[in-house]
Amino acid sequence: MKLPLIGRDADAPSAPGVRPVPFWSFRPRSDRESGDAIVANFALHWFPSKVFKPSLDWNYSFWLGTISAALFLLLIVSGLPLLFLYVPSVERAYQSVKDIEYVVTFGWWIRAVHRISAHLMVVAVVLHLVRVFLTGAYKNGVGQNQKREWNWVLGVLMLMLTLFLSFTGYLLPWDQLAFWAVTVGTNIASSVPFVGPEVRELMIGGRAIEQATLIRFYVLHVIMLPGALGVLFAYHMWRVRKDGGLARADAASVLDRPREEAPTPTKTYTLLGVARGTAPTVRASTIEAPGTTVNAVPDLTRRVLIVTLGTFALVSILASAIQSPLEEPANALVTPNPAKAPWYFLWLQEIVTITTVRIGGFTINGAFLGGVVLPGLIVTLMTLWPWLDRSPATLAGRWLPADRRTQNLVFLAIALVILCFTFIGMYLRGPSWQFYWPWETWPTIPSRI
Amino acid sequence: MEQRTNSPYPKLDRPILAIIGAVLVGATVFFAYSDRQHDYKWYQAQFREQVAEKLGAERAATVPSGIEQVWVPGLRRADRCTTCHQAITWKGFETADQPWRTHPPEILATHPPERFGCTACHGGQGWAIDTDAAHGEIAHWEEPLLSSWLGDEYGLGDHKRALLQMNCNSCHRYERETPGADMINLAKKVVDEKGCRACHVINGRGGTIGPDLTAVGEKAPEQYEYGRLSGQQSAFAWHVAHFKDPRALVQDSVMPNFHLSTTEAQALAMLMLSWRPAEMSADFLAGVPRSDPQTPEERRAELEMRTGPGAYFVQTGCFVCHSVSSLGVKSPAQIGPDLSTAVEDTQSRFGMTVDDFMMNPTGTMSVVLSRQIVLDTEQRKVAIEHLREAFAAHQQQKAANTASAPAQGADRVR
Repeated sequence: MKLPLIGRDADAPSAPGVRPVPFWSFRPRSDRESGDAIVANFALHWFPSKVFKPSLDWNYSFWLGTISAALFLLLIVSGLPLLFLYVPSVERAYQSVKDIEYVVTFGWWIRAVHRISAHLMVVAVVLHLVRVFLTGAYKNGVGQNQKREWNWVLGVLMLMLTLFLSFTGYLLPWDQLAFWAVTVGTNIASSVPFVGPEVRELMIGGRAIEQATLIRFYVLHVIMLPGALGVLFAYHMWRVRKDGGLARADAASVLDRPREEAPTPTKTYTLLGVARGTAPTVRASTIEAPGTTVNAVPDLTRRVLIVTLGTFALVSILASAIQSPLEEPANALVTPNPAKAPWYFLWLQEIVTITTVRIGGFTINGAFLGGVVLPGLIVTLMTLWPWLDRSPATLAGRWLPADRRTQNLVFLAIALVILCFTFIGMYLRGPSWQFYWPWETWPTIPSRI
Repeated sequence: MEQRTNSPYPKLDRPILAIIGAVLVGATVFFAYSDRQHDYKWYQAQFREQVAEKLGAERAATVPSGIEQVWVPGLRRADRCTTCHQAITWKGFETADQPWRTHPPEILATHPPERFGCTACHGGQGWAIDTDAAHGEIAHWEEPLLSSWLGDEYGLGDHKRALLQMNCNSCHRYERETPGADMINLAKKVVDEKGCRACHVINGRGGTIGPDLTAVGEKAPEQYEYGRLSGQQSAFAWHVAHFKDPRALVQDSVMPNFHLSTTEAQALAMLMLSWRPAEMSADFLAGVPRSDPQTPEERRAELEMRTGPGAYFVQTGCFVCHSVSSLGVKSPAQIGPDLSTAVEDTQSRFGMTVDDFMMNPTGTMSVVLSRQIVLDTEQRKVAIEHLREAFAAHQQQKAANTASAPAQGADRVR
């Protein structure tokens, strides 16, 4: 049944969006229909109607941002059933996770999906950051009023939120792994001079990891942090649009030779990279050249679908194959040996170990240097880098250009060191944080009976 | 009509999307299938067949299917063991293979499973419904099923089914003897005979030379030192080896080697591990003693000694290890030598006079006199005086004995 349109001729062509449509065609017959789909549909309204073709290349962005977003979506979706099943109390938490693991229908799978998505999201977000750095995508290109540096800052903030989300989720099963990872993590925070113990007390809601910590981490994990990340994600995407899409668009638009003749005015819904008044006679013409842009519907939507569903499939398969660990119930009196921080903080734990120096009976604790100064320095430097990077604007959106070789090499070297330390922390540190080569066996862990 | 700009990607993107879709469907089917796979389905089907065979199809129809559980709020346990072990309260499956065997009914009469669950006694992981996890044979589960198989592993021999007596003792720890818990009873007897309380606090009573054993079972396996233990590394194995030769595991231990038999050592190890605070609501403990007092006989004997000629040795605490037979003091443990002849003994044992020895003791006594019975110089002099008195009494008795041996013999007969 069609609702009567008041004051209008029902058959007259109407502006898109006036009649929102719930779905869109995967095979639009015309550019008009393709563009209408973007304007008329809420789910697609944040896409441009036309996308610069090279921006869709697999080997430019590797779609890492989309993968991160897909994982975030998967985390929210898999987290919802867990909200109904998990009990955030020190008496019941462990038991409720056991129930999820053993008797809830699909419970083990939902938990595994949630856990693996969380780990993969840390990986994807970090790789996304690496990609953005190496392509100089935080740089403003040819568009006017671009503020890509602020989107980079947003991105750094979102990385921190992702790490903190993962860290808060780590505690919730209330097993030994959780308890001691959080002990190690929050002890590092307490090495901040003067206010360290207060910072730790604020984090864990007391002086010991107890019910107050659990409920604090729980509320942060299920409401505050996902909410904040969701808002920042929306802002991040909005800024991408306002900055004219991927930096690749800027790079490509100055690469191509402009057409000789003046452009004819055409009807477009948006002009990537030139929306904000780049001289239309020169650069807009390259955008408008045939074959430079494609319709977002279906080319962008199809690729987004491939990446999103591909991520879902990968996570689902991994979740079926990898068992989620659940160690002994948390016990403040028994330190598992070794007590390890979550893997993405292991490089810090490794640095703390290395910078802890014993001279005779005197110990210089590395927690302040390795746990506070160094990561603080890295995050500050990373945040400020768009303003420190003085390379020309034309390098935005290009992989490893010669003019940015030094900074890219330094960045890669730091990334490599972090990667090595993470690897050492994960696989080569055994009981008492002793170093073991892969071919050396660890001492056996004793049992009760 | 306007034409659509040609898409540069359709050729490859569409098949990729199709493949991804197929993979996603496959992954979904795979996890849905693996979620439905459980051992218990097969065990339940088998049990239904057995019931049909033995008791007829009508009874077989009453066999429940799906996950079964016993929820014991007082113990905060949800035991799903009966999902596979369906026969425990059925008659007629006494000789069937596990998991279809009837549970011995005598113990169930006093410990009904709906009140006590299963894992409180048997160990294992009640939450789990698959065999390995439920029997606790997985990483990170510290309460394995206390099965005869595990008992075999530890070389318990004839007592291989006894391991679960450890859990009996969670509630029955203050009983001197618990029917059916033979290994625990044996261990309690050894504790009494060897006088462990001379050095250790047990249930709030005892000496302070050794560690308090009241909650020793709570000690985590990681907290033991396994450096000198060969073979399996577990708290249980550690205790067995330690009871057989304390100094082999802890070099500077002052604990004497009691030359216990293997069975005694195993029984004691079980008793050690059973001594841990159990969170138990009061109704589970109805009818069992809640503390471990001395028996009236023990109390009377001690009172007599306290007021007799050897009162000094009782009050000072020497009698915990030493008898002083000449003054009528009898040690319950008799770990050390009789003090009646201490004046002579120090010469032969340590090569010094009793005065020198009491002032500068060696060996066990140096530990005792510095940690448990702390005496200053004046008090030590008093102690030496008492030792001399005891020796004098001893010599008198000896002289009297040799003089009136027949008379004493007549005494005994009468």
